[in-house]
Amino acid sequence: MKHLFLYLSLNLLISCIAYAEEKNNSNYEAVVRIENSSLNPDYKTPWNSGRDSGGNGTGWLVAENKFLTNAHVVSNSRIVYIKKVGDAKPYRARIVHIAHDCDLAMLELEDPAAFEGVKPFDVGTLPQLDTTVKVIGYPIGGERISITSGVVSRIDFLSYSHTSVDLHLTVQIDAAINPGNSGGPVIQGGKVVGVAFQGYSGNIAQNTGYMIPPPVIKRFLKDVEDGNYDHYVDLSMSDFPLLNPSQRIALGLPNDGIGIMVSNVEEDGSAGGILKTGDVLLEIDGLTVKSNGLINYGGEDVNMNEIVERKFAGDVIDLKIWRNKQPMNKRVTLKRFMPYLIAARKYDEKPRYVMFAGLVFQPLDRNLMAAHNMKSLQVRYHFDSYVSSNIYKERPEVIVLTSILPDSINSYFNQFTQSIVDKVNGIAVKNLKDVHSALSKNDGDYIVINLLGNGRPIVIEKSKIEEAQKRIQSKYNVIKDNYLGPIE
Amino acid sequence: MKQFSYTLIISISHLFVCYVDAFAASAEKSVIRVNTTMQAFSLIQPWEKGAASTRLGLGAVLPNNKVLVTAQMVTDATYIELEKPDSSEKTTAKVLTVDYEANLALLEPLNDKNFLSDREPFLLNEKLSPSDELEAWQFESNGTPVSTKITVSKAEVRKSFLDTSNFLQVQANGPVQYRSGSFTLPVAKNKKLAGLLVSYSSKDQISSILPTSIIKHFLKDIENGEYTGFPNLGIMYSQTLDEQFRQYLKLGKDDGGVFVSKVIEGASASGNLKSGDVILEINGNKIDSRGNYDDKVWGKLKFGNLVRGIPFTGDIIEMEIIRKGERMKVSFELIRRPTEDYLIDPYMFDRGPKFSIIGGLVFQELSVPFLKLFGNDWRTRAPIKLLMAHANPEMYEKQGNRKLVIMTRTIPTPATLGYERLSTLIVTKINGVPVKDIKDVHEASKSPIGGQHRIEFESYPKLIFLDASLSSRLNKALEQRIGITQRLD
Repeated sequence: MKHLFLYLSLNLLISCIAYAEEKNNSNYEAVVRIENSSLNPDYKTPWNSGRDSGGNGTGWLVAENKFLTNAHVVSNSRIVYIKKVGDAKPYRARIVHIAHDCDLAMLELEDPAAFEGVKPFDVGTLPQLDTTVKVIGYPIGGERISITSGVVSRIDFLSYSHTSVDLHLTVQIDAAINPGNSGGPVIQGGKVVGVAFQGYSGNIAQNTGYMIPPPVIKRFLKDVEDGNYDHYVDLSMSDFPLLNPSQRIALGLPNDGIGIMVSNVEEDGSAGGILKTGDVLLEIDGLTVKSNGLINYGGEDVNMNEIVERKFAGDVIDLKIWRNKQPMNKRVTLKRFMPYLIAARKYDEKPRYVMFAGLVFQPLDRNLMAAHNMKSLQVRYHFDSYVSSNIYKERPEVIVLTSILPDSINSYFNQFTQSIVDKVNGIAVKNLKDVHSALSKNDGDYIVINLLGNGRPIVIEKSKIEEAQKRIQSKYNVIKDNYLGPIE
Repeated sequence: MKQFSYTLIISISHLFVCYVDAFAASAEKSVIRVNTTMQAFSLIQPWEKGAASTRLGLGAVLPNNKVLVTAQMVTDATYIELEKPDSSEKTTAKVLTVDYEANLALLEPLNDKNFLSDREPFLLNEKLSPSDELEAWQFESNGTPVSTKITVSKAEVRKSFLDTSNFLQVQANGPVQYRSGSFTLPVAKNKKLAGLLVSYSSKDQISSILPTSIIKHFLKDIENGEYTGFPNLGIMYSQTLDEQFRQYLKLGKDDGGVFVSKVIEGASASGNLKSGDVILEINGNKIDSRGNYDDKVWGKLKFGNLVRGIPFTGDIIEMEIIRKGERMKVSFELIRRPTEDYLIDPYMFDRGPKFSIIGGLVFQELSVPFLKLFGNDWRTRAPIKLLMAHANPEMYEKQGNRKLVIMTRTIPTPATLGYERLSTLIVTKINGVPVKDIKDVHEASKSPIGGQHRIEFESYPKLIFLDASLSSRLNKALEQRIGITQRLD
């Protein structure tokens, strides 16, 4: 349930702040500098290849020729190099796995010879509060390796800002972390107890850095054992604390501080059809759920989602719930809930689009919202309420007419930008492919595009399209007039 | 169209007769100071009124002991005073009729029926046209009349006071110096009333004037008996400038026409026009592809003037339209959809917001003034679900909602523990009863289930409970503190 408080979470974290650390007898050779050249897609001109950019972070040897770093260090990557301590030569690397939902990635060298004999780090366990850790890495301020130290300040369930919709266990430390530390190891007792990954900028909070703790690292390593990364799963529901005595009386619960109320349940998610609004979660895999949603797990009070966090797609979770003033047992088989992803920042994907007669159609997601500075109420509503109003059921993809490349064929269409496509020639649009195929059909004299919330359709004369399409593509340098996604 | 002249109307009313041709108006005798104290209800704390403020303006003295001002002058008025500019003699006045949409109000002295008997009532100047010379009449603080000359340039159908109401407005050029106490000004042509000056831009030196055609309509409606207000057509339309679209609609070269994109339930067009129709002609006036008709005096004007500004409710309107490619004539009666019938009240004056408190949870009917609490950029800053309901009220109307009830906020009390941060949530049910307006909230709150109120929302957290007996005790305590805990009418 990483998305649990999707709408409530106010996230001030800054991505791209990294860390590093170590101790006196350190294994510095296993801590590497990672240099990434990226190509960042431009959702305003989706037919272009994107903007070249780059950055550097830190990584560390986790197994033979396997380096771990943050996903955000190597996102949208075109070329990655790894540099070793005391060795000026960049070594070409490739990404083996990238897990954006937990901000971790695994790299390997094309030629592992340079790291022969270097001992990989072991991954330790969750460090205790008020114990010392060291951060090793290659942050700004110089070229060479840097070490800072601090204590474990807090252990909490927080948002990972790389996608902005994922929440996982996070450890806060007070060691200095700066850009370039990202992906670097946080060391205690010679073992890696965290991956430095984000923090606040100095004008929001001081000495507040965050690392990805061992449970998340180990889950990632286990997930990729079979050669594929399968992502986190989710109960796909939201809960509301039972703090008001009236809630307990109405639900027939004793006043014992146990249980949390089920609020929204996503119909197509893991718990859809099993839980419903007004149910109370009493136990999760045998552990008692308190009225604030915490469970006691391994001696610590942690968010009940920690149980879900450790599981994989297809695993089951046993719930004891309270319904109609009766306890009952429910079993949920866990899976991903894709509609949440509309709100996630996306990487390593080419923007999909259809350009037709100068009209640019694109599927709605967070990247699109950000690129086009969406003001339209319809678009903002569909983005905001995609999950909560079950829009995903009717429109798996919400197709937006994002912009218009001006031409004589569309000279009166400007009023229609930032509208949502409802139908094309009478066919209801459920995804971008529907738009493309409906526009390609060759019957009738007109293309009629109905937009949501606007009774006036867009009408284009078919006989004029072919010529206009050529003219627009050449005038605006649109090399290809559509990209519908990777070939399946 | 029932086009009586104003003189004909007033001659029916014998009290007017003696004035009709006897006098020409003069500034000092025909214009009167109107001082109002206004105090609007708070929308955040609907049980209380905000601070009082004063508005000073000028009214036009009309026959039969009446004074005409803009509605803006008397909104939320708690006290209205008429003051003779020459003698500073004062009397309390009351509002006889007010139309916020047209921005007009008719006043009369509360008790002193002879207060205006030494005044010289205005006649209405029927004809206003471009390049007319007008006089805006004001007074210095010592009562000396000041007349400023302005020249009529053009007319437009546009909004004046409310951003949802468009009416004919005349623009005039020339510098107008605002004297003390001049919120609205009567404007005269040849000593007859030509309109009310409602706004002035000192930068462009342009005055906007509510013309006599609208004033006459307002007065005639009053004369006819119970005031019904200006009709509304209730459609949304698009222009048909795009040649491809015109061919698709089978519009001819000489046709203009506007495309009906939406028909609103409950107004004149409902059941008579359909989404997809093209309106070509209204009462014999051709509508061009931008939505203008050719007015004999003003040239191109938005067709809204033909459906709102000229005819009355009850009149039959005739249109030539194209429906599914076929030309046809339709005629139907013009009506006005009452403001109370809107899911979300477009404006709210002279009354407190409806609300009901249960144990500290504040329930209110959503209104546009409430949305405007989110600031000038409320259209982007207000909660999206509320904005969507405002833009598409039919989403809720088809579920039987008369109004949209929201829980606006929580006053922290022992009953609302854990709910302090909940706000602006759309309420669906209370104690199992669907909530369709504020009265439902009050009714449902009488039937708690097992001693607890069960409150359901459209979105997170979906369901909360309140202790019923604790809530009613707290309501009594709140009443002590804030006066009232509900206003249902």
